[in-house]
Amino acid sequence: MISFLKTFAPLAWRNLWRNARRTVITLIVVSVGFWSVLIFNAFLNAWSESGKQTTLSVLIGEAQIHAPGYMDDPNIELLMPPPDPALRAALDDPAISHWASRLIVPGVVQSEYKTLPVSILGVDPKDEMIVSSLPAQVVEGRYLASQTDAGVVLGESLAERLETGLGRRVILMSQNTSGALSEQSFDVVGIFDSDKGTEDFYAFTGRKAAQDFLGLKDEIAEIVLRIPDEKLLDQTVATVQKAAPDLEVKSWHSLSLMLAASDTFMKSFVFVWLGVVFSIMAIGIVNTQLMAVFERTHEIGLLRALGMKPRQVLWMITLESAFMVGLGVLLGLALGALSIFATYDGIDLSAFSEGMEMIQAADILYPDYDLKGFAIFSGIIWILGILVAIWPARRAARLSPVEAMRYAS
Amino acid sequence: MPPEQQKERENMANPIVTCRGVGKKFGTGELAVHALRDIDLDILPGDFATLAGPSGSGKTTLLNMIGALDHPTSGVVTIEGQELNGLDKNELSDLRLNKVGFVFQAYNLIPVLSALENVAFVLELQGRDKAERYARAMEVLAEVGLEGMEHRRPSALSGGQQQRVAVARALVSKPSIVLADEPTANLDSATTSELVDLMHQLNRESSVTFVIGTHDPRVISRSKRHIEMIDGRISSDTRD
Repeated sequence: MISFLKTFAPLAWRNLWRNARRTVITLIVVSVGFWSVLIFNAFLNAWSESGKQTTLSVLIGEAQIHAPGYMDDPNIELLMPPPDPALRAALDDPAISHWASRLIVPGVVQSEYKTLPVSILGVDPKDEMIVSSLPAQVVEGRYLASQTDAGVVLGESLAERLETGLGRRVILMSQNTSGALSEQSFDVVGIFDSDKGTEDFYAFTGRKAAQDFLGLKDEIAEIVLRIPDEKLLDQTVATVQKAAPDLEVKSWHSLSLMLAASDTFMKSFVFVWLGVVFSIMAIGIVNTQLMAVFERTHEIGLLRALGMKPRQVLWMITLESAFMVGLGVLLGLALGALSIFATYDGIDLSAFSEGMEMIQAADILYPDYDLKGFAIFSGIIWILGILVAIWPARRAARLSPVEAMRYAS
Repeated sequence: MPPEQQKERENMANPIVTCRGVGKKFGTGELAVHALRDIDLDILPGDFATLAGPSGSGKTTLLNMIGALDHPTSGVVTIEGQELNGLDKNELSDLRLNKVGFVFQAYNLIPVLSALENVAFVLELQGRDKAERYARAMEVLAEVGLEGMEHRRPSALSGGQQQRVAVARALVSKPSIVLADEPTANLDSATTSELVDLMHQLNRESSVTFVIGTHDPRVISRSKRHIEMIDGRISSDTRD
């Protein structure tokens, strides 16, 4: 192999530049195409990650613990006790950055004008401020002060629909432990801004206040976990599940099927783009090599007459493609490096903040320039580039020396 | 017996190339063209033979058979006792690489290689090491009078100089036979004369065997053996 490369690499390299204009055009196609794959991948990953983080940080977290059956029918009869020492020890796992317990029951909220269905969420504000982004999204008034705070925080959209506002009172109603309906009036102490779904369907109050209102002691509905390192998610969920065998521990993949599907789609879509770009590249590469073989038919006949074997012709033409695609990939990587430099501080899309909110992404996207991804895509493009060039190379290798030499040079 | 006669008898007993009943047909049925018909021919070591005849007489086709570039449709060709029928493409390539040198019409050098690299390329295909192949290529280029021009690309050489490079390339691996197909077709009189002188000198001094397909009287007049072809047959085969 080394001897083959020593013989044919210099020849293949010089052949590449015989028609410099054509080679340069193909190089531009390969390098820009490859660069677009890198950028597209980085941008999609950033968008996907930003959207995922935004969604998870509102309420879902990376994992949750519930009593069995609660997720299918979230009612007051399917609550669970606060974490026991074994579960608390598991929740101290270094992979879990924070956790918070919540009481969530279905109920209704009533203003002077309207009654609307909501999920009543009793939280411990101290923990909630760490695990959720919502406390920081209060745009009017304040967030809850403590778990005994009997104020209520509503979403902007819900407040608008209820025709209520800051300082007004609303009544929360839900079924209590004895099966009867409990109702209590709460002061609206804060209004938060989030996506419409969250704004419409949640009413937040202190966890203790909610438990008192529903006649509960210390029962909770869920524990939400934050696990920053996605790679440790499954392992951590398994560890926690082991510590709480009577409870259900689920990762966000099962909790939000839509988000999981969207994440998979985003990750797969880059391969669709890779396919589109590569098809264009392949046309360029095959065209260039077919032209090169056609123009050099006479010369290939001469080489065969001199004693070059068919497989040596095949490898020589393939080597030319390997050089061309390899050079294109290197140029694409260089463009990619420039792009990293240019977008190191993130891409500010705050001018489109409404649209970004709609797709649940942050205003500033930080492209994910994963070096492993660079290496994988480089390898894929290079190998595919060489593979498509085997067709013209085989044509060249099959030429009979006599037939080939009849072609005028 | 005089030594010359004894050598000639030895040569006749060990021809480099033999053709027995060689025929070549292109196409089938009524459209079939018989390019060669029942050729019997021996090329002996030290021959300086011209293969002449009008266009379409079969000169190039016969050279292709002798050079292992093409298979006959009938008959047998052997090179140094090795029968070509039945050899696959790779074996034919090896045979050409090691036993046959070719000089074609003009424009048959690899344009991206220098004169030295063009000549050394054959040795490279043979797997010789760099120092050996460049030393040998320099030696042969000097032999054909191209000292000082080794690093020029073909585009920087005249037609005559390019053909000298082609002759050097044909000789560099010390083949059993050198086949030249119309080597002077694109050369002027003076350059033709120089090239024929060179081939003659190599034949005389280094015993290189040449078979030259040509209809150039300036080449034919210098040959030691003249084979005339008409309609795919050998019509005459004479020696000086």
